[in-house]
Amino acid sequence: MVTGEHSNMPVEKNITLERPSNIELTCQFTTSGDLNSVNVTWRKGDELLENNYLINATGSILYTQYMFTIVNSEQMGSYSCFFEEKKEQRGTFNFKVPELHEKKKPLITYVGDSVVLMCKCQGCFPLNWTWYSSNGSVQVPVGVPINNKYVINGKTANETRLKIMQLSEEDQGSYWCQAIFQLGESEEHIEIVVLSYWVPLKAFLGIAAEVVLLVAIILLCEMYTQKKKKHSDDGKEFEQIEQLKSDDSNGIENNAPRHRKNESVGQ
Amino acid sequence: MPRSLKEAQTWRLLSQVFPLLQTVMTPKPAGPPDGGWGWVVAAAAFAVNGLSCGLLRSLGLALPDLAEHFDRSAQDTAWVSALALAVQQAASPVGSALSTRWGARPVVMVGGVLTSLGFVFSAFARSLLHLYLGLGVLAGSGWALVFAPALGTLSRYFSRRRVLAVGLALTGNGASSLLLAPALQLLLDNFGWRGALLLLGAITLHLTPCGALLRPLALPGDPLGPPRSPLAALGLGLFTRRAFLVFALGTALVGGGYFVPYVHLAPHALDRGLGGYGAVLVVAVAAVGDAGARLLCGWLADQGWVPLPRLLAMFGALTGLGLLAVGLVPVVGNEESWGGPLLAAAGAYGLSAGSYAPLVFGVLPGLVGIGGVVQATGLVMMLMSLGGLLGPPLSGFLRDETGDFTASFLVCGSFILSGSFIYVGLPSALPSCRPASHPGTAPPERGELLPDPQVALLPPGGPHSTLDTTC
Repeated sequence: MVTGEHSNMPVEKNITLERPSNIELTCQFTTSGDLNSVNVTWRKGDELLENNYLINATGSILYTQYMFTIVNSEQMGSYSCFFEEKKEQRGTFNFKVPELHEKKKPLITYVGDSVVLMCKCQGCFPLNWTWYSSNGSVQVPVGVPINNKYVINGKTANETRLKIMQLSEEDQGSYWCQAIFQLGESEEHIEIVVLSYWVPLKAFLGIAAEVVLLVAIILLCEMYTQKKKKHSDDGKEFEQIEQLKSDDSNGIENNAPRHRKNESVGQ
Repeated sequence: MPRSLKEAQTWRLLSQVFPLLQTVMTPKPAGPPDGGWGWVVAAAAFAVNGLSCGLLRSLGLALPDLAEHFDRSAQDTAWVSALALAVQQAASPVGSALSTRWGARPVVMVGGVLTSLGFVFSAFARSLLHLYLGLGVLAGSGWALVFAPALGTLSRYFSRRRVLAVGLALTGNGASSLLLAPALQLLLDNFGWRGALLLLGAITLHLTPCGALLRPLALPGDPLGPPRSPLAALGLGLFTRRAFLVFALGTALVGGGYFVPYVHLAPHALDRGLGGYGAVLVVAVAAVGDAGARLLCGWLADQGWVPLPRLLAMFGALTGLGLLAVGLVPVVGNEESWGGPLLAAAGAYGLSAGSYAPLVFGVLPGLVGIGGVVQATGLVMMLMSLGGLLGPPLSGFLRDETGDFTASFLVCGSFILSGSFIYVGLPSALPSCRPASHPGTAPPERGELLPDPQVALLPPGGPHSTLDTTC
């Protein structure tokens, strides 16, 4: 496969490359001065490249073209064309392997639960996938199915899934999935947090206690106001009976002892 | 002599006092207080509405996490919400019947505990089936026990201001979405979906104190004994009336699309590229529009400027168009943007759907007469529950087939539009209803359809109550 790229100064271009390819890079430089006095070079990083490039001049535009082949990861990187006139002008081509989609949120899981970590490459097909976990700076490969703890599989060629079962608090931390291409690797970072059920349970019990308290307060308040109402109703009732009796009697009965008795009962 | 005189006096006293004692001991029930403790009940109904419908609306935020964890499709996880909604609606008559027998207070308190248990059970789910059982069946049943009894009790506490009180209670839906949606996202971010469900169980437990606030009220016209046969109360004979049949058909179609945004608006926003809190904003905008429109439209409908069936058809059509717009918005560029077009479409949908909701129940007294409104409402709830069972899984299936929710929202928008088209066939002039003889009391509803006046309390969702004096 041949790729042709053109660059007008000053500019940088990112190119994603998965497989070994034939590359053709072209830079064009426009100047009003003398084209012959312009010094044209190609570099990979800081290293000067010796051969395989052409220089052509048409009118006031200077073309230069660099052709090469990328077969392994050492040949990936930044290639620049330099035009040295009074000051140096350059254009840069950055070759990279496809990057994986970066997930931001850490996965929250619980002790005893299982979790599936997924990495996906959009529109690209890695040769292989590997998984690492890191505690601090030490990277430990992950995925050996000991005790049925880890299962690695992927539904399609461009994704991989790591399933971790029987999570414990030691499984907490950073996990890396690595996509391996012929021309290099790409990584993605996923964080797992393993909580114990006690963490939300504490909050739950606190809120449940508050609810029980609320219900108790509501029902007690109501019982209290009903008691007060009943008492005042009873008081009214005896008052009315009292009223009737005083209306009814012609003074034949002596009201005094009854009155006293009613008073004490009415309380 | 004094002894017989004393006896005669005592007997005379007793004969005068005894009837008085009877009335003092067992007072005749006064009419609805139209205030006082009624406002506390309104607040309780507001919270009940928020903790049932509002929570269900926000639950969509957790569905993608569930789909990822159990490695199932969007269609499968949509069944969780769809089942909960369907159980809540279909079992609502059970809630009403139980509260007629035992009073609203114990039923709502038990319902709160049941809902909470459902959430706690689902927090420990090992498979999607556990979620169907926990959230769908248990929590759905709990919600069925709280919603209708709470609103029914509220309508008993008011007569002249019933519409306002019920409308206020129904805005609990929207207000809670505003609070619960970001709270749920926060819980998901910090505790994962298991911890979030567990803590939602604690939050829904607050339905029980709300139930404790529903003090029983004795009203004139209350049946003296428990209700008789439940079958007669279903009122299937209402379908022989042409107007109600047309209405039922239209509503069944609308039900197919009406509930999809409850379940899929949040995942749709996430699919379109918004971040977690961006999706929360979309849900909140729809909820606020819905809540405000319920009050506004209730007031508007009361004015009588436009015949209710015309309003119904109009707002139904607008809801359908709003959903088409929601489905057709383009993908958002980056996760940080606030998603303007989707917010506008969600707001339009919310406003129309909120206007539609009270009208569905408001138009019933004119269609079937005040005597049949209770049963008609129960039937409408069951019809909509069929749609609630069909719509969200269909939407999830379309999403899995086509890759995003565009087709889902287009289909549910068309369901609603076709239902609204059928509403155009409703008679525009509804018979005026005779006002009740005692505006402050509940009119006794004697008739062959309803052996008992209050076999089922006011069904959910309507600011226009069955016992109102206007149609």
